[in-house]
Amino acid sequence: MNVEIVSRPAGAAAWVRLERGDAVTAEVGAMIAMSPDLQVNTTSMSRGGKGGILKGIRRMFSGENFFLNHFEATADGQELLVGPALVGDIVAHELTGGAVIVQGSSWLASSDGVDIDTTFQGVMNALFSGEGIFWVKCSGAGTVLLNSFGAIYEVDVDGSHVVDTGHIVAFEDSLSFSVTKASGSWIGSFLGGEGLVARFSGRGRLWCQTHNATSFGRTLGPHLKPRQEG
Amino acid sequence: MAIEHAIEHRPDFAMLRARLSAGQKLYAEPSVMATMDPSIELKAGLKGGVLKSIGRAFGGESLIINTFTAPQGGELTLAPGPMGDLVHYRLEGGRKIMLQRGAFVAHEDGVEVNGSWQGARGFFSGEGLVLLQASGEGDLFFNSYGAILPVDVSGRYMVDTGYVVAFEDTLSYSINTLPGLSIGSRIKSFLFGGEGLVVDFHGQGRLWVQTRAIGPFVRWVQPFRPTKKSGQASKLGNLMEMMSGD
Repeated sequence: MNVEIVSRPAGAAAWVRLERGDAVTAEVGAMIAMSPDLQVNTTSMSRGGKGGILKGIRRMFSGENFFLNHFEATADGQELLVGPALVGDIVAHELTGGAVIVQGSSWLASSDGVDIDTTFQGVMNALFSGEGIFWVKCSGAGTVLLNSFGAIYEVDVDGSHVVDTGHIVAFEDSLSFSVTKASGSWIGSFLGGEGLVARFSGRGRLWCQTHNATSFGRTLGPHLKPRQEG
Repeated sequence: MAIEHAIEHRPDFAMLRARLSAGQKLYAEPSVMATMDPSIELKAGLKGGVLKSIGRAFGGESLIINTFTAPQGGELTLAPGPMGDLVHYRLEGGRKIMLQRGAFVAHEDGVEVNGSWQGARGFFSGEGLVLLQASGEGDLFFNSYGAILPVDVSGRYMVDTGYVVAFEDTLSYSINTLPGLSIGSRIKSFLFGGEGLVVDFHGQGRLWVQTRAIGPFVRWVQPFRPTKKSGQASKLGNLMEMMSGD
């Protein structure tokens, strides 16, 4: 399987080229275009039937769709074009053992050898990180496509690093994080608008996004016509 | 005669810079003009008469077409509403091209843009019953939200219904569900906002897809809208609007 990322950074999309028997699992809605000899299966499981309904429900809490789309090439020379809904970049990460923990809406697709599961990052982190309760855990060997809101940049953490919770795309599981206040005092943290941050520790790679989709949504919201309720 | 032009700031913020020679004309969708030499004359009108204009209107375009004429030659720049990409296509040798609703930006003399009834297929594609058809000889420019990628089809190709920008009319199409989906999967995919329907292209020719679509973005922003109890204006919404006022 071969991946080419084009139109970076704002309108980034990924061409995934597959030979007969290759398969890729993508977020439902990510497919833009494709060759005819791809079999599509919408499933609540990752490949091999592991997981099932429970995994699907957990995925919903991670900000992902309950279902996944599974594309399998039935002939050589097939291609699939995938992209996220919002403007932003895509990076491909090669997994060779180990695992990456992906913020729910940043997982776009992954190749066959990658197992997709959801992971719980602790009660405090679930309640206060402002992200989903569950995160997507990708392990195994293969390619993972991550997408960001805005541009994406990597930080190689050795020791500790602080990131605003809305700017996390993914991190290697050799890192762990806890949610803490940004400033020395709680009042300072909230008045400064920074609220809570993720403090990473350990050694490994962290992917961050330049923009925070929730902040953008909150900027747009008040300018839109109110929704009718009740 | 071809229009001397450059498409700048691709793909995210594409803008067309066109240099018209003396007497040359450019026909453009209203409100796309960003700058122009003062010597260029602008005339708004119903190009091709009332019926053709109505056909265009069904294709998601304006009734009015602006005509830019440069008696002594001059330069103008065009930038469509959405941030995104622009493509130049040269119509010649009887080739025709179909454009998605709203994709038309500009064309030169000798090109005709008309509405083209797509029947039930148009309805099922969720994109409207009418596409625009460009024919004749000359330069054509079209745009979309997101980047535009060309795909050369030989045989068959599938595109999500929301992501087709344009295609040569040597390609025929039907609206289909994804290949291989079981009935259960089709229902699941359809109900849960997935790739229920695709445009299934057949034949030989080029098509253009967009990497982002307005629809998913607009659906994403909905939860951020303030809520209003029935019949009342949202005080919170108004207050937030005042505070964030810019």
